[in-house]
Amino acid sequence: MRLVRRFGLLAVLAASLVALCLFAAGSGQVDVPPAEVLGSLLHHLGLDLGPEPSAIQGENALWIVRFPRVLLAVVTGAALGCAGALMQGVFGNPLAEPGVIGVSWGAAVGAATVIVFGLTALGNWTIVAAAFCCGLLTTLLVYSMSRSNGRTEVVTLLLTGIAVNAVATAALGLLMFASTNDGLRAITSWQLGSLAGATWNSVAIVGPVAIVGCAASFGLAGRLDLLSLGERTARHLGVHVERLRFAGIVLIALLTSSAVAFSGIIAFVGLVVPHLVRMVAGPGHRILLPASALGGACLLVAADLVARTAVDFQELPLGVLTSVVGGPFFFWLLRRTRARSGGWG
Amino acid sequence: MKIVRWSAALATTALLLSGCGGRGASPVSGSGADPAAGCGPSTAVSTARDVDPLRPAPKPVLPVTVKSADGTEVTVKDASRILPVNLYGSIAEIVFSLGLGDRVVGRDASTTFPAAAAKPLATDQGHDLSAEAILGLDPTVVIADRSIGPPEVLTQLRQAGIPVVMIDDEQTLPAVTAHITAIAGALGVPAAGEKLAGRVTARIAGARKNAPAKPLKVAFLYVRGTAGVYLMGGKGAGSDAMIQAIGATDAGTAAGLSGFRPLTSEGLINAAPDVILVMSAGLKSVGGVDGLLKLPGVRQTPAGEHRRVVDAEDGALLNFGARTGDTISALAKAVYEPCAS
Repeated sequence: MRLVRRFGLLAVLAASLVALCLFAAGSGQVDVPPAEVLGSLLHHLGLDLGPEPSAIQGENALWIVRFPRVLLAVVTGAALGCAGALMQGVFGNPLAEPGVIGVSWGAAVGAATVIVFGLTALGNWTIVAAAFCCGLLTTLLVYSMSRSNGRTEVVTLLLTGIAVNAVATAALGLLMFASTNDGLRAITSWQLGSLAGATWNSVAIVGPVAIVGCAASFGLAGRLDLLSLGERTARHLGVHVERLRFAGIVLIALLTSSAVAFSGIIAFVGLVVPHLVRMVAGPGHRILLPASALGGACLLVAADLVARTAVDFQELPLGVLTSVVGGPFFFWLLRRTRARSGGWG
Repeated sequence: MKIVRWSAALATTALLLSGCGGRGASPVSGSGADPAAGCGPSTAVSTARDVDPLRPAPKPVLPVTVKSADGTEVTVKDASRILPVNLYGSIAEIVFSLGLGDRVVGRDASTTFPAAAAKPLATDQGHDLSAEAILGLDPTVVIADRSIGPPEVLTQLRQAGIPVVMIDDEQTLPAVTAHITAIAGALGVPAAGEKLAGRVTARIAGARKNAPAKPLKVAFLYVRGTAGVYLMGGKGAGSDAMIQAIGATDAGTAAGLSGFRPLTSEGLINAAPDVILVMSAGLKSVGGVDGLLKLPGVRQTPAGEHRRVVDAEDGALLNFGARTGDTISALAKAVYEPCAS
């Protein structure tokens, strides 16, 4: 019964992701209904089925603007959801999330540096590489600062997050001071978080990184389950705890940097999704990690759909939208955690 | 009879005296030719709130292949649906002035003159272009410059087969005619471009005529009361070119500033402008001339002492479009005329 429920969750999430993607690709200022989206897809696959887009520029709107955007939402959402679940497992703390404890901000500093100074050492990959390096440094810093006696205290974790955010915000501020108008605009749109800049190029860069990151973290699931029994128990059960932790941290940095590089700071996805998944399927990482990735993708596709269609001829900042929903959720979680562990444990 | 005459004479004298008393309270303007003193605030009212299109409207001769400012060659085959966008709204202004306004399908957030205000916006996020919105407008040619972005959107439009002509985005007076020529060339109306460029040049040249022999020092202050933003324009800010165009000295440039710099009260006092130039909405946001004088340092300048504040319409002052000639004429009038009479 439990097994049915768990794999049922994955199936439901996958099905709703596909449906959401079709619907999102079929909504926007250029009128291309979902049936025509499906038709256009089939035509591109060589099957003469279904209607082709009838609107002027419909085909272009679909293939040049919307598909990359929806795909970037899927990839970014999956990376954020998976990173959140992974982080909570590695830190052993339910409040860990890339945006909240500052890893996203650290990665954004790396990406912003590349844009402002126009660095191109690694071609198209420079942004992701810089975001990864800074993200990795930040994660290691947060991890080493917030751990004591084998566990992560909520207060220490959050205070570390505040410190990291302060430093990263200052660094971003300095970069804004030094940059031209173009750089300024890029940094501002990061801070708000947006998928408006999605192109096939960005999908081609972020996609592989996020897929590798998610797949590798699914491989850690079994050992993360053992780690949640406690460090000592895990060690006795044959888990190389330090190696597991380090692998987890590298993966978190990889996933976060891939999410941040083109879409900026989209907070709380990695917090809300794993918690919702746990309510349905329990805390086992074998389901939690893939379900969080799928759920994150669903959430972000839906949020981006709202962001770009809620107001005519206007676009809401995506990061602001997720924070409006995620912020109150964080409040509730904070209260609950505090009540359960008695004081500020 | 005699008594009546006397009393009438007394009354007249009293009236004259009281009139003189009233005038005596305000600073005496001396020669009357010193434009810095005693003539109070004025507003640069441009006669051309709307654009003044060339008549008859020119017919584009297409196709044309032009060199885009980003180095690529762009071929424009059809100019029936034009999308002119940049950060300042100057490209749209030029396209409308060329007489091609009825072919324009959308606008940027800065293009607000009456003839264009009803066109749909192509910018979803503040001043950023949205590829989806633009594809929805289905333009046959997009004219833009580097001031508007993101560049990815312009790339996406080219991928969709829409020719995107980039114009150089230098913000100076000589560049205005260069922009007009480039835009007219890309739309296949080079003759109309020459005509418009000639008109703008003539209006700019006419504005210097009233300048006094000893140039006035004018400072451009960018003020936004509610946001607490106070900036002073220096070399290359755009305001310097407008101030120099009326034969005055830009106080910011003279003080060694470049671009817009945060305003320090001591810096302003040292710059000692004779006239302070602000944007109309900005002046309103700080509470008018009285509010402006309350900002630290303003009252201690010659301009503050004599309340010589000139405000100009926000959309027209710094956009370097086809209306620039009219704006400069109006500015010269506002700076020099209230004192000349």
